[in-house]
Amino acid sequence: MVFTLLAGNLIQGLLLGGVYGLATMGLSLIFGVINVVNVGHGQFIMVGAFVALTMFTALGLSPLVAIPVALIIGMALGFLFFYTVIHRLIKAPELTSLLATFAMGILLEEVAKLIFGADFRGYNWGLGKITLAITTIQMSKVYAFIGSVVIALFLYLWFTKTRLGTAIRSVIEDNEGAQVCGVNVGWIYALSFAIGIGLTVMSGVLLTMFIPVGINPYMGGVYTLKAFVIAVLGGLTSPYGAFFAGLIFGLIENGSYTLFALIPGVAPFPLTVSLAFWILFFLLLVKPTGLLGK
Amino acid sequence: MSRKYFKILLSLMVVFGFFVSINAFAAADKIVIGHSACLSGKYAKAGEQAIGGIKACIDWVNNVHGGVLIAGKRVPLDYKYYDCESKKEGVTSLIERLITVDKVNVVFAPYSSGLTLSGAPVAERYGMVYMDHGGASDRIFQQGFQYAVQTIGPGTRYHVGTLDMLDHVDPAAKNVALAYEDSEFARMTMTGAEKHANKLGKKIVFKRTYPTGVTDLTPLLSDMKAKKPEIVLGGGHYEDGQLFARQMSDLDINVKALSLIASATLPAFYGALGGTIAEGILGPSHWEYGVTFSPEGAMKVGLEWIGPSQDEFVSLFKKSLGKEDMIPDYHAAEAGAQVLAYVKAVENINSLDQDKVRAALGKLKFMSFYGGWDIDDATGLQIGHSMVDMQWQNGKRVIVWPLEAARGKLVYPKPKF
Repeated sequence: MVFTLLAGNLIQGLLLGGVYGLATMGLSLIFGVINVVNVGHGQFIMVGAFVALTMFTALGLSPLVAIPVALIIGMALGFLFFYTVIHRLIKAPELTSLLATFAMGILLEEVAKLIFGADFRGYNWGLGKITLAITTIQMSKVYAFIGSVVIALFLYLWFTKTRLGTAIRSVIEDNEGAQVCGVNVGWIYALSFAIGIGLTVMSGVLLTMFIPVGINPYMGGVYTLKAFVIAVLGGLTSPYGAFFAGLIFGLIENGSYTLFALIPGVAPFPLTVSLAFWILFFLLLVKPTGLLGK
Repeated sequence: MSRKYFKILLSLMVVFGFFVSINAFAAADKIVIGHSACLSGKYAKAGEQAIGGIKACIDWVNNVHGGVLIAGKRVPLDYKYYDCESKKEGVTSLIERLITVDKVNVVFAPYSSGLTLSGAPVAERYGMVYMDHGGASDRIFQQGFQYAVQTIGPGTRYHVGTLDMLDHVDPAAKNVALAYEDSEFARMTMTGAEKHANKLGKKIVFKRTYPTGVTDLTPLLSDMKAKKPEIVLGGGHYEDGQLFARQMSDLDINVKALSLIASATLPAFYGALGGTIAEGILGPSHWEYGVTFSPEGAMKVGLEWIGPSQDEFVSLFKKSLGKEDMIPDYHAAEAGAQVLAYVKAVENINSLDQDKVRAALGKLKFMSFYGGWDIDDATGLQIGHSMVDMQWQNGKRVIVWPLEAARGKLVYPKPKF
């Protein structure tokens, strides 16, 4: 029985971890390129969730259609915030950029509240289920996982096989060296920020395919916290590291519950939540650069 | 003391007296209800309902009742509220502001047990009557607060009716699972549910909590599924209640009965789940549109009636929020009934003195559209209000228990997800 439960939870955790991973890639990319910690990260996930909800409920369009729309909206927001706020903060003290991105998050929350109200909303994309001996999986979750993996792979290929991708990597590696080699660093900053936000907003759509309820303007905070843990786990400046760390985080979050539940007199859920932070704590002691960080 | 200083002192006394008299006149000119309301944050939905309910009953008191009759004079009610953002730190500072800056006559607590509990010591410090419409935890009233008064029923009684009803229709269904938010309110509710389930000879096959703000309940629900419960009592608040129902559906956990606290009863619950998932889900409620409390009914049980009829309340509620399509739920009704209780207490003693009003509330017994109202004088705990159980049937909330208040028959077992 325990093994059945564990296996079922690990499958569910892996699927969710894929979405977590994608949701964190944007955070890592932005930090890697422009050295700005986006404290308003979760609020951009919220924007993606509302894109999916609106397209499904108002226009009757599948969340799969909402994915490219979210990317476009996200990149547009990214460019907007970069040229109005972020580009002034690249050389500024870290506290300034923390406060600015925090303010960006609050602004997004309040605009979303103004448009959609403070209600908790949801939608039901009935695609059916796969019933296995160990668990039951919603097809929308499978699509969300596949979507995350495909986007992450696409990003990997884009980073490694294109000139623009290589330019971004060169800025992550050595900002001044890239500038000496003729890379337009200012444009790379803007583009990276926009891609990072685009990825984050897109992950919001995928997240609603996994959890299509509780969509509200204030849903982002909890995902910011998770994304920070995952980003540090993955190496902070490494988007690929973030993706794999997301998978690990999902497995830990779901799998450890079954093991903690075996301990008599213990409430397993709070321990499950804290375990990821304990792992992060030990990782920072042993390998402060994260799993795939250099 | 020289003549000069005496004159100055006398002038100061005259000025002081003038301001005191002005203040006294102003206080008698209107009675101000202060409220640390949840306009945003996790309790925004219940907060909006509460504000609508309060405004509706203030409207009734001012325009139908003619104002609060105090010392032979009709005085209107005024309502001063701020958004606490569903946060404890907001509650404490706003209540202090309402008392010290806005000089309100009574403080209404915010929604939820946790927030109500956090504000109670502030009201207590200032000796201000603190009326609780959304904090169901019994623990609030076990702290020895002198000025806290409850309108919402105590949390330990939430599932008493639910379990009685299920035992009535299917005494053979014995296996009960309790899965709930690790919050003050849910803990208290499930403590009462467990006690009553044991009394009815049920077996608790699963009992687990989950943290507030949880985003994925899959591991816990998978664990619960393995224990094969027939009856599931769960939830905590609206946010996690939605998640609970949705993920039970995702995991194909089909049980004979599922009752969720403080979420299934909200009108938006059905739509937020995208429709059919909510079918058959039960929720204990302090009030539902359709309950039949009336002046005649009050007379039969020997209680005084005060306030609007149910239909009047619904109409005033819609007007107060400017939302014609919004139906009040129990959060609105209990907040509105609290206005009526305060008004009745003030009228009974002809005074706004906090200690006298608190004493009058302790003696007060009445019936309104919300049902009975009576508190335990010593603790302030609500003892006069009975709950109902509702079930989602074809997209509508139907009262199914108690039988004398039921507007439809319980759909049992619950339809499969």
